[in-house]
Amino acid sequence: MTHLELENLASEYLEGQLDAVRRVQVEEHLRECGPCRELISDLQHVMELCHSAEDVEPAPWLVAKIMRATVGERKPTFREQLAAFFRPATQPRLAYAVAMAIFSFSIIINAAGLNLRKLTLADLNPRTWVYQANRTGHLLYARVEKFYYDLRVVYEIESRLRQLRSEPSKQEQKAPKPEAPPGGSTDRTVPGATQLASVQGLMTAAASSTGVLTKMVVKGRSPSP
Amino acid sequence: MEHDPELVKRCLGGDNSAWEALLQSHTRKIYNLCYRFTGRPSEAEDLTQEVFIKIFQTLKTFDGAQGTFPTWLARVARNHLVDHYRRTKKDRVTSSLEDEVGGMEEKPSPTVEPVAQVESRERKELLQRALDRLSPDLREAVVLRDLQDLDYDEIAQVLGVPEGTVKSRINRGRLELARVVKRMEGMKGPAKAGGRS
Repeated sequence: MTHLELENLASEYLEGQLDAVRRVQVEEHLRECGPCRELISDLQHVMELCHSAEDVEPAPWLVAKIMRATVGERKPTFREQLAAFFRPATQPRLAYAVAMAIFSFSIIINAAGLNLRKLTLADLNPRTWVYQANRTGHLLYARVEKFYYDLRVVYEIESRLRQLRSEPSKQEQKAPKPEAPPGGSTDRTVPGATQLASVQGLMTAAASSTGVLTKMVVKGRSPSP
Repeated sequence: MEHDPELVKRCLGGDNSAWEALLQSHTRKIYNLCYRFTGRPSEAEDLTQEVFIKIFQTLKTFDGAQGTFPTWLARVARNHLVDHYRRTKKDRVTSSLEDEVGGMEEKPSPTVEPVAQVESRERKELLQRALDRLSPDLREAVVLRDLQDLDYDEIAQVLGVPEGTVKSRINRGRLELARVVKRMEGMKGPAKAGGRS
């Protein structure tokens, strides 16, 4: 076998594609020929170099780029469209906005005095809303005023009672006990009884005024001064 | 995973997802083929895109009875690369600095030692430079056989030449590549050249 013949068969020899006779001939030549052994060694090295070469990674956007160049922008599926439509609804800020809207609406409904379960045509008139808002405002004012006066009355009563409770003991300490008239007396008035009677009168008056006020508030009229 | 003929059929029926599936499974292979021919990442990217545009336009001419889809794809890609080579023969210049840098950009593997990474990169650069020195006929034969792992009959289909010619080109290509690599390693210095067994 010549050098040229071996050179032509080198790849097939290395890939194991030669028949037995040819392979023996090649191996015999290689045993005797140093340059050919070197050639086979170089060839093996190059093949190993090629086989060990890893694939080069294309750019990650290459497929998308080719898609755009061939079929254009990909049309989103129905599911993707649906998800895109409802995506804003899943944001927390929408929940806050809805909550605030409901809160504001309920305040307006309350102020306008509307009963949503028994809604009439007249309730939809803005004049009715203004009237109802005005009425509710006055009612609220009257309640506050009543509460304030009630507090004042109660405070006055309590202060008088405290005063009355403390007065007899002081009088007992300071003033000497009056002697009973001889032969007894029919006057059974105890000290401070006059003041107690006046407090009782005051309480009765307060109670009656409170009742009147309450009735007036319930009827929806503002109390006359 | 669906077979290519089924995907091609769906694709011809207007199913874009089938086309996307074809792209997903074959882009890497075609990109590597283009890269081995050009040696430049950006050019390989453009060529890959052009090849797939051509494939998309001529998809109805694919006949499964005459060969597999990857073989047909490789044939179309190879013809396009040859056309491109002829077209740009006159104004071909050495790789631009940008491409040289781009070609070296690779994701560092956390498990591989830095020294091994450098060696691997050097081997790749050496191989690519050596391939660039080969004539297109020999280069495509070696690339299809040793880098794309195609069989002889597949290469014969892709190149449109008899199997005997394929074997001859591969052998001559390897011998030429071995000489170029040896020369390059010799230029690098005896220390590196003596590195291999």
